[in-house]
Formats: sequence, C-alpha cells, structure tokens
Amino acid sequence: MEYLASDKIAIVDLGSRDITEDELDEDLVLDKIGGAGITKHLYDQYASDDPIVLGSGLLTGTLVPGASLGIMTAKSPSTGKISHVPLNLDAGMELKYSGFDYIVIKGNADKPVYLWIHDGILDINDAEALWGKDTWAATDHIRSEMGDDLIQVLGIGQAGENGSDLAQVGINYWQSADRMGFGKLFGEKNLKLMAIRGMGLLEISEPEDFIDDCAELIKTIRTDPATGKQGIAAAAAALGEEDLGDYLGPLTHRHMACFNTPVATNTFVFTDEDPALLKESTVPEPGFLLTDISPLVALKKAGLSAKDAGIILKVCAKYGIDGAAVAELSAKSGLTDPAEIEKRFPDFKGPVESTGKSIFSPWAAFGKDMGENWERRQAVAYILGLHPIWLQMATELTEEKLLDLAGLGTEMEFTLDTLDEVIGDILA
Amino acid sequence: MESRGRKTDFRIPRIGIYTGKGASHSWLWFVEVFERQGFYNLNFLTEMDIVKGGLETVDVLAVSGGDTFSIAEALGPVGAIRLEKFITGGGLYLGSCAGAYLPLNSSKEHLNHFNFVPAKITNLTKTLPESHHMKDKFSTCYGCSFIYHAVREAVEITTTGLPPFGESTTFTAPLYGGPPMTITDPASVLATYTNFTQKTLFLVDRKLAKKTLLGNAAVIREKMGHGHLHLYGPHFEHPHFPKANLFLANAMMHDLPQENIPSEKPEEGMAILSGPERKGFIRDVKRELSNSRIVAAGLEMIPLKWTIGSKVYETGKIRVFLEALWQRMRSLERGGYILVRGGEEDRLVQAALHVTENIRQIKKGWDRKIDTLATATALFNLLNKTSALFLEIYFRGKLFHSIRENRI
Repeated sequence: MEYLASDKIAIVDLGSRDITEDELDEDLVLDKIGGAGITKHLYDQYASDDPIVLGSGLLTGTLVPGASLGIMTAKSPSTGKISHVPLNLDAGMELKYSGFDYIVIKGNADKPVYLWIHDGILDINDAEALWGKDTWAATDHIRSEMGDDLIQVLGIGQAGENGSDLAQVGINYWQSADRMGFGKLFGEKNLKLMAIRGMGLLEISEPEDFIDDCAELIKTIRTDPATGKQGIAAAAAALGEEDLGDYLGPLTHRHMACFNTPVATNTFVFTDEDPALLKESTVPEPGFLLTDISPLVALKKAGLSAKDAGIILKVCAKYGIDGAAVAELSAKSGLTDPAEIEKRFPDFKGPVESTGKSIFSPWAAFGKDMGENWERRQAVAYILGLHPIWLQMATELTEEKLLDLAGLGTEMEFTLDTLDEVIGDILA
Repeated sequence: MESRGRKTDFRIPRIGIYTGKGASHSWLWFVEVFERQGFYNLNFLTEMDIVKGGLETVDVLAVSGGDTFSIAEALGPVGAIRLEKFITGGGLYLGSCAGAYLPLNSSKEHLNHFNFVPAKITNLTKTLPESHHMKDKFSTCYGCSFIYHAVREAVEITTTGLPPFGESTTFTAPLYGGPPMTITDPASVLATYTNFTQKTLFLVDRKLAKKTLLGNAAVIREKMGHGHLHLYGPHFEHPHFPKANLFLANAMMHDLPQENIPSEKPEEGMAILSGPERKGFIRDVKRELSNSRIVAAGLEMIPLKWTIGSKVYETGKIRVFLEALWQRMRSLERGGYILVRGGEEDRLVQAALHVTENIRQIKKGWDRKIDTLATATALFNLLNKTSALFLEIYFRGKLFHSIRENRI
C-alpha cells in the first residue's frame, strides 16, 4: 500500500515477545477500506487469540477536516461484543504517523510491559516501575524517560490493573471514549500502556487535487454556523443535550480541539486556579480537560457543582475508570461527595447502562437516538478516521465526498457499494 | 608524490571529509552534494586520522564550517605538515567557511602552522562595529583584533570566468561567517561577492557590509606544489544552492589528481551483513535514530543554545545530523549493501544509543533547570563521530554496489 499508509501491520505476541510484520495489502484496503473495516478483519483473523487491534482510518492524519481518529477494536468485557473505541485528541494522528497502520496485540505478558511505538519500530519494554502508578504519573514517567512531551500514551491506571469491568484505556492524562472496558483487557495482558510517537510522512497520490478539495471543504465549513461553536458545552448542545455553557462557564479556561478538527469538543476547566489566568499556572494540577459529555451531564443532573464534577472526573482519569459509569453508579448510590466517590472506585462494578448497546462507543451519542443512521455515521467515522462527534455536525462531509478524497489520496476507487459492504461486515 | 594512481578514463575522486574536533554540522552538506554528484568514495577523517597519515588514501580533503581555531589546535603542527605534504604532493584541499580561514596566513597560535595561502581577509578589525542582529554570532576575538561577520544568508556571487571554468556567471550562495578575501594575484580569484539578495541578513550597517564584501574574493584557487587549495567564503556546498554546488564540483574535478580503479571485491576483513544479522543491525540503528530525533524535535521548541569553543550551537543543529542519517536509512532498508569490519556495526549501535542518552539528558536538564553545556559538548562530539561512522558504512556499501553494477 503506497499511499496514505506506512504499509506495515505489526503482530505483537506479548506472551512470547515475538513481533512480526506484514505489509498492508492493497487488496485488503480495496475490500475493507480502512479503520474499523480492517481492525475488525484483523480481529477475526486472530480471533482465537482474542486480540486487541489498533489502527487508523484511511484519511486519519490528513488535511480532511476532523481526520483525527484512531480506532481500538476488541471483544468488550462489558458487552461480549466485538466493539470499537475511538482514539481522539492527538492519539489517532500519532498512531497514523507511527510507522504502523495496524497493530494486533495478542497473548499475555508474564510481567508488566509497555509498548513503545515510534517511526516503524515497536519495542516491548519492561513496565514494572510503572505498574501501580496512576495514569498521570505513568504518562509523566514515560514522557520524561523518552524525553518528549508529545508522546501519546494509551494507558491504564489501578482500575485496569485490578481487573475492574469499568476500567478504561485513557489517553495521556484524560478520559477517553472507552466505555467498553478495554482497560480490563490491558490489565489482563499485563500491558500498562502504549506510548506512541510518529515523525513519519504520508504520501498522497494526487496531492494538489487532494489539498484543493480539502481547502474547499474547509471554506464551506467555515460558513456553516453550526460548526462555529467551540467547547464541550457547544458539542453537547449539538448532540441534542442541554447547553452546559452556563454550568461550565465560571470554570472554563480554554477549549481544545482534537487533531485538525474544526470544532473543539474538549474544554479545560480550572478547579484549583483562577480560570481567567492568562499565564502558565504555577499550581501543579490546576484543573482538568473535559473530554466526555455524558458523565458531565450525569453529574450535573445528580446535583454536583461543575467544580466537583471536574474533580471527580480528574480522579476517574487518574484511576483509569470510566467516568460515565462512575457518574451512573454514584447517582444510583446517592453519592455526591468527590472524596467519598473516589473511595468507592474499587467497589464499583458493571454492568452499567452507559456502556450502551452498540458496537461503537456511545461517547458520541448523548441525547441522540442511537439508531441505524447514527450507527452508519459512526461506522463511516471509524472506517475513514473522522472525529465521530464532528462528523455528526458536519453535513458537508458526505459519504461521496469522503470516498472521493480517499480515492484522490490513494489512487484507488472506493464506491458506496464497497462502503455499504464494509459497514455491513462491521455491524454484522 | 607525483601521481596518486595510474591514469584512466574514469575519475572517481577519493574524498576525505573532515569530521574531527571543531567541525560543525556543515560537513554533512558536503556529503549530500558529493552523493548527488555520484561521488561515493567518501572517507571521514578526524584530526587523529590526519595526523596518522589518513590523507595518503584520499585525493581531496574537504573541510567545512566550524571553529577554525579548534580545528587548527586539534590538527597541530604535525597535522599541518601532513596537510602540506598532501597538497604539495598533488592533493586538493577544499575549504569552506572555517575551512577557508584555516590555510590563510596568520600569526596567531595554532593557525600559524597553516600559512599556505597569502590572502588577506577583509572582515578583520581593531574596532568592532555595532552589531544589528545576532550578537552571539556576529564576531570572534582574534588576538587584539576581531573577525566580524557583516552579513548572513544568501549573497550574490559572480564567477570570474577564468579558464578553465568557463564564462562568468552569477548565482547565490549562503554566507555563515566565511571570509571575504583579497589576494595579490587576480588569477587566483575564481569568484567575487557582487551583491546582496532579499534574503541577506545584515549584521552591520549596510555601507560597512558593502565595503567588507562587494568586489572582494569569495572563492580563491591557489596552487601549492603539485596540488591546489580551493577556498570558499560562502558555503558553496549547501544543498539548497545547486548552481554553487555545480561550480564547486566542476572546480574540484578540474584539479583532481588521477586515481586508482577501486576493487570490486570487499577489502580484506570486510564482511557483508545479511539475513537476521543485517535486519537486526538496521532495526537497532533505526530505533536509536528514531529515539534521538523524537527528543531532538521537541528540543527545537525550547529557547536553548550553547557556546562551544567559539561557536554557537542551537538545538536545531542536533537534528541536522540525525536527519542526514535518517534519510539514508531507507536506502539501507531497501537492500543497500552493508559492509562492516572490526565490529563497526556494534560500535555504531552503541554510539547511537549514547546519542539518545545525551539528548534525553539535555531534555531532563532543561526541565530541571540544570546547565547542559557539558552534555551538549559531548553530544556534538558524539554526533560527529556517530554520523561519520554511519556514513562510512553507508558509502562503503554504495560504492561497492556502484562498482558491481557498473563493472568499472
């Protein structure tokens, strides 16, 4: 596979510590397009090993607006279904440029390990010094040891290490969209984290036309008032939930977008610092980046202040437990004190409703009917590598347009029939 | 030394590139330009190699930018004798920037061993002019005087068109501290500074810059015994200046001594890596280069620089070395020959590992607000050595391949 790819699939056996590499066959791309289409295919190929498969969409990391997504596919310990979790912020982009298109992780390590994935090299490293650390400390440790603050860390905290059904694979310091309990799978494999950094390049088949088309899309999107709003509160409103602007406003410090995504769906709130501060804070932990709408709404409905909600979600992220599940279980138990809720983390157990029933994370579904149309739009996002919330907002990004761009980028022809088939395979 | 080999129709220059003490990153530009020209017989020489007779196996010695004083001190009187013997015996000395200052007449300690060319520099002053930009790169002490750098970046150069180098032409080349020169014999001047460009950065008043540079020699060719010296004020070897590169290569080929046809067989004691050994070697080197360049890219975002000797090094220079190696990894991965001897492969992997450790130590030092000058000094030394070893192996394989393919 020459274009929009590194042409490399890694198969990692944590048990034997063997790493083998396959080329990304063009026929596979023609058949499955990419992203969840191929992670699902690879899961099926190695199903007897019950692997975790990571990959990026065909357009991830490109100039296509919202092309930020990486995908993690595995059998959910919560639902028992082969499920897909979106990897946002900069994680999907770094994965795309890491020199691997897809990574299949099978087997269990006999002692804690982490994967260091960089520029087409995949190392299995000892993680005994990291085991027991929360996700913040582990991320700090890795970035300090490797000497780079842009390394993206997909890792677990104590929840995953202790086999919690609600364990989440976090992204750096923040909550991810993992509602599927994939953190538990990491723990079972003795896999503390994956550190990813890529300085690779992507070749585009028709670069000038591709860039012109992307520029045209961006121009159109800029004129759309629906895509001009920023922050997690605006994203919640766009998904049909109440506007959280007034709730978060007094604590809001800044908004943050995922890689190349026109709408910032994340908001940094200051819980322990003046939100109006315009210089670098000297407080070690001034606040928290809100990345998940659902737990925020649930905590608000339970009567918690925005500050307490931020504090709870921060400790959830550190412990590596799904904030949506914690919000749901706290509400059921009538808990509202952040310290009390944190103490109960080891006791929280699933199943929880917030996992949803889809094979896609319900992270991008709040307030919406998760029907056939929602699933199709999610599937498109997961196959091509588009931000799942953004894709629901950006009506300009039609399936035809996205397939045209995929064709321009790869010198291949992708039809709506192929897309239908791939979506059918994923949803089957 | 009348001749450096039997006369043939094929002229594959055996080029030595100075990578020893005092050399900055710009020797890598020579590497790139020579590679583009198809000159693969490259040898990377330190001051010790030269002192020990390393010039006996090359036709050309290229010395690029860096710290002239450090280079002179490192080579010492023995190195100067070796260099003189090399040139008078028919060798060609290519000096650019610091390498151009080195053989100019000087009374200063260490430099006074290299009084080979009776040219004068026009950027020497007793009274330092006011600097307008880049105060840290603007001047260097020179005894009781100062060498100042009037401008940086691209300047216009016009060749004198003296035979056999064809008609007079004008092009641009970058100046990063190299000398403007005057010399009594006009036949020695191959090119002069004729104008500034939109990209020229003035470090002093424009009038003074004009007086210092325009009309003065940018390139000098001096005969010495049977050999020659070509001295370039600007970096004609900078890869972004193809016309200057071509001029440099043509000039070099004109004054090149004849040389032997290289052997098709690997030298004795040389092994061609293959199978898992080759795969492992590539993976290990690639791993460390990747580790290093990831940290180095991050360092470029912080305002950190060091003065090592009399040169200022920014963090961006680290990646110039690393990228020069990284871009050549692909060729090795695609099946290029890897010829090694005496455990070179292990030494390269170890050296690359030390580079990573040093760069990471600098990052930690910055985070903890600890002085990193000593680590940076060690790092640049290590980068020179590691790059030289990598490129030695790389070009050995490339030359071997080229000889096999062309049966020359």
